[in-house]
Amino acid sequence: MTKEKPKKEKEKLDAEGLVKYFKDEFKTKIKSSEIKKRKTGAKKKEFINIWMKIDKSIFKKAIKHLCDYQFPHLAVVSGNDLGKTIELIYHFSIDFGGRLEEISLNIAVEIPKNKPEIETICDYIPGALITEREKQEMLGVKVIGIPDDRRIFLPDDFPKDIYPWRKDEKGMEKYIRNLHEVKKNDKQ
Amino acid sequence: MKLSMLPQVLSQMFKKPWTNQFPAKYTPNNTTQFLKDVEAGKAKIKPPIETPKGFRGKIKYDKEKCIGCKLCIRVCPCEAIEFKEKEKKIKIYVARCCFCSQCNDVCPTKCLSMGDEFLLADTDKHSKNLIVE
Amino acid sequence: MTNSKQTTKTTYQLPIGPIHPALKEPVMFEFEIEGERIIDADVILGHVHRAIEWTGMRRNPIQIIYLAERICGICSFVHPFAFVRAVENAVDIEVPERADYLRVVHGELERICSHMLWAGVAAHEIGFDSVLFLTWEMREKALDLTEFLTGNRITKGIMTIGGIRRDITKEHLPKINETLKYLKDNFEKLRKVFLDDKTFIMRSKNCGILTYDDALKLCAVGPTTRASGVKKDVRVDQAYAAYSDLDIKHMTPDILTGEVNGDVYDRIIVRLLEVKQSIELIEQAIDQIPAGDLMSEPKIPKLLNYIKKTPGEGIGRDEAPRGEVIHYVKFDGEHEQPYTWKVRASTYNNILPWIPMLKGEQIADIPIVAASTDPCMSCTNRVTVIEKNKKHILNKEELHQLSVKKSRRLMK
Repeated sequence: MTKEKPKKEKEKLDAEGLVKYFKDEFKTKIKSSEIKKRKTGAKKKEFINIWMKIDKSIFKKAIKHLCDYQFPHLAVVSGNDLGKTIELIYHFSIDFGGRLEEISLNIAVEIPKNKPEIETICDYIPGALITEREKQEMLGVKVIGIPDDRRIFLPDDFPKDIYPWRKDEKGMEKYIRNLHEVKKNDKQ
Repeated sequence: MKLSMLPQVLSQMFKKPWTNQFPAKYTPNNTTQFLKDVEAGKAKIKPPIETPKGFRGKIKYDKEKCIGCKLCIRVCPCEAIEFKEKEKKIKIYVARCCFCSQCNDVCPTKCLSMGDEFLLADTDKHSKNLIVE
Repeated sequence: MTNSKQTTKTTYQLPIGPIHPALKEPVMFEFEIEGERIIDADVILGHVHRAIEWTGMRRNPIQIIYLAERICGICSFVHPFAFVRAVENAVDIEVPERADYLRVVHGELERICSHMLWAGVAAHEIGFDSVLFLTWEMREKALDLTEFLTGNRITKGIMTIGGIRRDITKEHLPKINETLKYLKDNFEKLRKVFLDDKTFIMRSKNCGILTYDDALKLCAVGPTTRASGVKKDVRVDQAYAAYSDLDIKHMTPDILTGEVNGDVYDRIIVRLLEVKQSIELIEQAIDQIPAGDLMSEPKIPKLLNYIKKTPGEGIGRDEAPRGEVIHYVKFDGEHEQPYTWKVRASTYNNILPWIPMLKGEQIADIPIVAASTDPCMSCTNRVTVIEKNKKHILNKEELHQLSVKKSRRLMK
């Protein structure tokens, strides 16, 4: 297989090949995948985005599988509050270094709100530390195995159970003054 | 080497400074006294450089053309426009305005435009100079 | 202190920040120091958290463009650009070709202004104030051109969803050509001062080294990582705006010197090469610009109603002067406010590399190493040095003097 050959001779997969690379390994645990291509400029060159939804149980193995193909660039982790679950989306990009060869890969994982835990990827990608700490304090997700547990953006005396990005009772609604009322009194 | 900037420094001693010295060559000790002197004719202010065409200064409002559609209020990012219910016209608070001119683009009758006034400092944010209606 | 029979040497902690002259961003460092050498470093963030993403989730997309413009003063074109790209990818809006080329022109002009500012600040940290004034005078000409084209020097306000708001016509061309000629003529002066001057070479070579492996593993972005040899540049790798039609390549230090060290000197080289590349890209774009519309949907209420009805999610990536910027937007199809908006500015990925860069350096090198990665915000005053039980407070002038004194020592 490709693991015996040195890294330089590994062939580059295109978008469909990459999706197949994951599906071959994990089969049904990949819930859905979608490839979006958009054209830009006068010569209509296209860029490719892959959106994949995977199951929580194979999350760490899928990241290792990606690192075996090529060390990716982790841009950021973004989060959505979907009612009963929290969805975390990891934005990667691979195949940088050439000209117009890069593919953006977005992997979405859903975790239930009554047990919001996910494993860390800092042992494979050390640059993920800051963005994982941000998810811990903004969404209330517990990252298991993170090397550094402190708060990163919110001040230390911020109340402990309030998560700003959530839209339920743990959100920020009680803590803001309605600035429009202040403005009306000011204007009159 | 160490002397790579020396020719530049020496030539600078003989050139006029590039800065436009607005309002006066040296900062006045007492600004209010300086302004009174200008009004009395004892001192002169050097004018600022001309603004280019298309500069986004204080907003200008043509009241006759306005139809009261409220689209400018919907797109203003700073919420600086207020609607006057009875007359169906608007009131703009320049102290909150961020000079983006998005309201100009949205207006269907083109009654808003950007002027070129930019010396708008004032001590009272609701003074006559800073409200356009 | 040394009265007992056995003396032990311990390290002491030096907190620097959150507000500090060398750092343009309020960041807090805690260094463990032995003598003048740094043993370990720790970074603490969060001092300018303004809750912009939370504010943005309550406004419609047109208002968010102006909110995104004010995230950072120097990168005030790339944040609206990335946001607008994310919205266009989420709800499938096409952008006309002429708008793509105009976006390239404004983006590259901003890159020139930003790199000139950085060059001045780096020279000031080393102690070379006359170079500061030289580079900032060149920057003033570029800012004059920006004001002529867009109406304002910094917050340009020309981005809109589906295109661009202002055009470049034949009347603008003479002034553009005059400014580009001025920049090209003075570029050689700048190159000689930065790269051939003995003081710059002594202060910056082999200082603040970031190896290739560290840069790759810590996901660093921008000129910081290109100076270590990692070839990452969103303009070259992915097709966006009109960069896919232009002639562009990765700028790494071996283009000029033939070897890659990953120190401060290499970062200076990468940024100067990028200024030259930006001037060439603007000329190419203006030559090849096609005729056409500026916006795909000029009527804004129609655009907002379309966004209100279409669900979708999308990302927008862009290359700022400091690195990669990414925005993520999700619409739910019922409201015109976005359901989620996530912003990641380029400096956040460049903070973790500070730790391996600063280990083993001297205190007087902290300003130049931190400034060489070009962190993105404004700067000021004090530093507290805690030495056993005594507290000295070094204010801005004293820390700056430490850095300048080292230059004078090396020059002797």
